[in-house]
Amino acid sequence: MEQKQISPLRAALSGGAAGLINGFFGGGGGMLLVPLLGRWCGLEQRKAFATSVAVILPLCTLSCVLYFFRGGLDLALALPYLAGGLLGGLAGGKLFRRVNMTWLRRVFALLILYGGGKALFF
Amino acid sequence: MGWLLAVLAGALTGVLSAFGVGGGTLLLVYLTAFAGTPQNLAQGVNLLYFLPTAAAALPAHVKNGFVETPVLLPAILTGLAGAAAAAWAATALEVELLHRCFGGFLLIVGARELFSKR
Repeated sequence: MEQKQISPLRAALSGGAAGLINGFFGGGGGMLLVPLLGRWCGLEQRKAFATSVAVILPLCTLSCVLYFFRGGLDLALALPYLAGGLLGGLAGGKLFRRVNMTWLRRVFALLILYGGGKALFF
Repeated sequence: MGWLLAVLAGALTGVLSAFGVGGGTLLLVYLTAFAGTPQNLAQGVNLLYFLPTAAAALPAHVKNGFVETPVLLPAILTGLAGAAAAAWAATALEVELLHRCFGGFLLIVGARELFSKR
């Protein structure tokens, strides 16, 4: 099997863009990074998903520290979500190879559109 | 009851986060559109939330060989710079304006997800 070479410049630009979105909205960097790594940098889809998690983790850590010092962090509010997220994350890592991505993305898109409409127009 | 819903919402979006399918974005939608959390605090929750979720999912990804290591260093370095600048800007902005920006972002993302071929 021939190993494809991934452009470090493209990887760097993808990471930078994801950092901007992730810092500004406190999330969502992965939604940009996954297609960039996949279609632009040429990673196979599942690799793009998994690699984006590894890239975004340190970015979130830095944003967290900044939010903390600038007053956007409420630990008590976050705690139950953290507990749930930990369980979901463990399950997700194991289920990763067995899900139907197409349906997942459709349901996801509809929920996102609902949230967007509500934030903009109500 | 409130905390139970929060744990459930966290677990469901956590599964998605592990896939990298925008679980964090969904949690932000839940917080702002359903739970009525102010945008800036919701973003803080989401950032905190991603840390254990991602840390829990990563070992499995690494073990399965899905993490492309040559990408990590360049992407993380520029990503840190971008994240620092943007986090500073977001926490300086008026919360209502940030919320509207977020709404615009969601509409773009949602439409792209829905109409993209894959």
